[in-house]
Amino acid sequence: MSDDEHHFESKADSGASKTYPQQAGTIRKNGYIVIKGRACKVVEVSTSKTGKHGHAKCHFVAIDIFNGKKLEDIVPSSHNSDVPHVNRTDYQLIDISEDGFVSLLTENGNTKDDLRLPTDDALLSQIKDGFAEGKDLVVSVMSAMGEEQICGLKDIGPK
Amino acid sequence: MVTNNVKEYNAFTIEEKVCIEALEVMFQIMNWDFKVIESCRSSTNIRNKLDLKNFDHSVVQPGLAWYDVLISCGHIAWLLDFYGTLRKRFKDDDFWLGNLLASSCRQLIVQLCSLTGTIFLSDNLLSYTEYIRQMLYSIVEWINPPDVIIDAINSGKCASEMLDGCRALLSIATLIDTETFNSLLRPFGTLQLMSNLTLKVAFAFGNINNDEQSCISEAMDILLETWSILLMNTYSSGKGLSNEEKNICASLFNYLMDSQLKAASVLIFKSENESGHFLASVSSRDERLGSICLIARAAADITLPFLFTSFSERLKGLCQIKKQNDRNSTLEELYWLILMSGHVLTDSGEGETILIPDAFLVQFPDVVEASSHPVIVLSESIIIFAEQILNTEMRAFLNPRLMEVLVWFLGRWVNTYILPVESDEKYYRNTQIQRKQLSPKILPNYAGGNSQGKRILHVSIFISIIALTSYPGQPKLQALTCQQLLPALVRRKNVCIQVISLGSWNNLLNVFANDMSLFSLSSRLQRTLAETLIHSASAIKDSNLSNQYVSGLMGSTVKYLVDISQITKNDVKAVSPQPDIICWVCSLLERLRGAVRATEPQTQKAIFDNSVAVMNPLLSMMSIYKDEATVVYMILKYAVDLVEGQVVFLSTEDTRMLIGFCFNLLEIYSLHNARKILLSLSPGLLNEAEIEKYKDLSALLQLLSNLCSKDLVDFSSASDGLDSIDIGQVVYMGLHVVIPLMSSELLKYTKFSKKYFYFLSHIFEVYPEKTTQLKNEDFIHIIGTLDWGIRQQDIEVIEMCLRALNALASYHYKTKLSWNADISTQLEKFQRPNDMSTEHIMHHFLHSLTHLLFLENFRTDLVGTAADALLPLLLYDQEMYQKLVHDIVERQSNDIQKSGLSTAFNFLTDSNQLSASLDRPNRQRFRKNLQKLVIDVSGILRTN
Repeated sequence: MSDDEHHFESKADSGASKTYPQQAGTIRKNGYIVIKGRACKVVEVSTSKTGKHGHAKCHFVAIDIFNGKKLEDIVPSSHNSDVPHVNRTDYQLIDISEDGFVSLLTENGNTKDDLRLPTDDALLSQIKDGFAEGKDLVVSVMSAMGEEQICGLKDIGPK
Repeated sequence: MVTNNVKEYNAFTIEEKVCIEALEVMFQIMNWDFKVIESCRSSTNIRNKLDLKNFDHSVVQPGLAWYDVLISCGHIAWLLDFYGTLRKRFKDDDFWLGNLLASSCRQLIVQLCSLTGTIFLSDNLLSYTEYIRQMLYSIVEWINPPDVIIDAINSGKCASEMLDGCRALLSIATLIDTETFNSLLRPFGTLQLMSNLTLKVAFAFGNINNDEQSCISEAMDILLETWSILLMNTYSSGKGLSNEEKNICASLFNYLMDSQLKAASVLIFKSENESGHFLASVSSRDERLGSICLIARAAADITLPFLFTSFSERLKGLCQIKKQNDRNSTLEELYWLILMSGHVLTDSGEGETILIPDAFLVQFPDVVEASSHPVIVLSESIIIFAEQILNTEMRAFLNPRLMEVLVWFLGRWVNTYILPVESDEKYYRNTQIQRKQLSPKILPNYAGGNSQGKRILHVSIFISIIALTSYPGQPKLQALTCQQLLPALVRRKNVCIQVISLGSWNNLLNVFANDMSLFSLSSRLQRTLAETLIHSASAIKDSNLSNQYVSGLMGSTVKYLVDISQITKNDVKAVSPQPDIICWVCSLLERLRGAVRATEPQTQKAIFDNSVAVMNPLLSMMSIYKDEATVVYMILKYAVDLVEGQVVFLSTEDTRMLIGFCFNLLEIYSLHNARKILLSLSPGLLNEAEIEKYKDLSALLQLLSNLCSKDLVDFSSASDGLDSIDIGQVVYMGLHVVIPLMSSELLKYTKFSKKYFYFLSHIFEVYPEKTTQLKNEDFIHIIGTLDWGIRQQDIEVIEMCLRALNALASYHYKTKLSWNADISTQLEKFQRPNDMSTEHIMHHFLHSLTHLLFLENFRTDLVGTAADALLPLLLYDQEMYQKLVHDIVERQSNDIQKSGLSTAFNFLTDSNQLSASLDRPNRQRFRKNLQKLVIDVSGILRTN
């Protein structure tokens, strides 16, 4: 088992990096992948038949998790692909400012004020209405490869 | 009469349309489903039932009465002559063959080739043979000489005449035995013609490189089907082929094989795109090869040695070739040879017991030595090749594609020849093969549990290990190994006993438990692999030993999972989101799933112990990976499989533990997902998230349904002194957790809504008294979904809703009868979502059900189930019912309708000695009354 512990530690050291290499053949639907420098969620994987000369290839169709654009890539299945480190953090919503920024409460009691509200009207109104009704809202923030975006909303307060 | 019409318009150039119509009419008549008199059917030896794989084919049996119309007056001869004359006239017009007149004429001729039955005199088939010969002589022109015709088609001529010719051959082949078929065209023989045609078509087929010439592949399929029919005829009649016929088959197969090999070695130099069709659909390719190999089996004494020599020549050449390109083409040839040999030696056996092909048992009666039996010689050469591959040096020559076909071959071979099913004497008595015809039992005995069998199993296991460990990133190869070869090794108990006694099997188990490279297999394969390996424990008789075997196998998996959960818990931020850790967790979970799916009584204990060990780690992972949909889904699916596999065996205490685990899981899931709104700009991503949620909830419902099964089947010894568990209570608590997560959107998924309503109808029927414990809002939600369900289109959904309603209403009616006044004060007010008025739920459903039954177009096949639901509702409040009926009646303007309706409604409640009880006879009577009423009422109301 000592080998395995070592295995974890070596990975833990690289915790600050933005991406990890992973064998393309093991990336599945609903997993993440970096295509053209963007962090994407895989919505479709197809593997080609083994060619006469060598290796199977994976064809990925993926959606950029921040701007929703569709991207595609083909990688030999035994090669490594970059997989983004996608993190989700929950913050309590304290305030919505006039200029479209939100104020969030972090775990250690500080505030985080650098996130914009979503630009889409429907999403925006969901947050604003909930906040205006005085509900306790928790916002989940997704971050990957240096970008951050609000990706979910949960109402934990009394109805 | 019809043909006479055509005759009158013999000036075919001007009255074409009339001719076409007349031919069409005749064709339609020939398509009638003629009645066959049973006694006549048995007197002829023509098979009435035809199992044609891909082609519609009907037998025309008009009976003796049609003799004058069809046979004696010479109309058919006229028709053949008519087409012949036309054909000559338009010889130079390449497009005439596709013309409507020509094709309807041919269509009729082909249909007439299927003419059979009592219409022919019972003169020992003489007149029939004469008739068929007449047909065939005119059809031959369409397909003979094959080379000229195929060349013309390749240069753009219309192929429909050739196709019709093939179809006619197929029709004829289905109706007569092979010998007669062959003798129809003397002196050359029909088979020779067929063989020439097949060769030409196959040649053209090998050369097509796009889909435009689909007619060639269609012709190929029809011809192969004809061959299969002809060859099958010879086996079922027990006659076998004559030497001449055998030679035709053998040379056909050898030629096909040769051209295939040539094509393969040439194609290797083309780019992937050009050879697209060659690698096209594997299943259709396999089907075609299967038919070609039937031809090979018919002449096994020539074709098998041919395959053997081709294979050994290529193999010898392989090691001597230095240049990679040349080697590739040899490898490709080897690939095809192994593929062909596999098809010749074994059947695919999908859905049936796999047996050694009859052809090999019937042929070779003279062979006494196993080492000279052609089947064994060919098999051995490939197995020895597999043995050589175990050597790393030799393996360097190979490509993954060759490994694939080798694994495939071994899988099929092991299934067919190792300890074959028919080593039982009884088998022979049941087959049509005469005992004396069989060669001494060389084939069944060859790999029957002796050292040969073990040796081959050993090779297969080692090949599996190599395929799994040395070829990372080859999903097809790994899939074949996990889904075909390994299951073949453990499928039958007698083989499995041999397998687990081998040292190499232990190596495999070791690799599975400890080799990290195996974690790169895709998740489904992890599951299949674990399932297969655990399944092999069933071959161990002693339950202690088999439990030890399982815990030894799964121990490391459990340990890894426990370790990861510790590490991720300690360092949530840094370690847990790493993709490789997530991937690993999923693989481990899939293995555990595979293991619980393979639960059998004797291994149940060890598997449950493993499960208990991972319960807490899984709960903590559920929190850590709350945003990682794949992990969450996998944990839920694991729980579903765990409950399904284990719950029936567990003692009270263990069940309590399992239920506790499921509950914690449900609660954690609900904590993280209830009242959550996803925000994303991309509709695609939102959609994906919606699908994930749907899958999760579907798994949760499945989990609850599986828990219910404990109440129905229970193998555990009940007398363990502890209080038994109230499953109903448990399931309702689960429902509390699940209901708030559900949205009406989810019910629009058909599978989900079926699962949901099935679950509802089940719990309402089994535990109606528990409904009172539901929270008010949950109950209203459930009632709302039922209300929605009975208005759906899906017949199953409506039926399950009605059953649930029946259960609910019956319970309330019974409680009312027993004067239990404190029933469910909270639940009987139902707030409808649209308008804010409240009404008694029973009234509400009584109202909507009567409305559905009488005023809307209700499905008549569901009236019975609806009656079951309506009876308790009606009995519950008869006044209300009368009022409803009154409303319906009064709405009519016509007095006759009014009186008709009220009589009809009175009939429902007053006739057939209907009483106010809910017992079975009374329900039956009510069903009958309602059936009649619904018909009457719809008759009255719909007439205006």
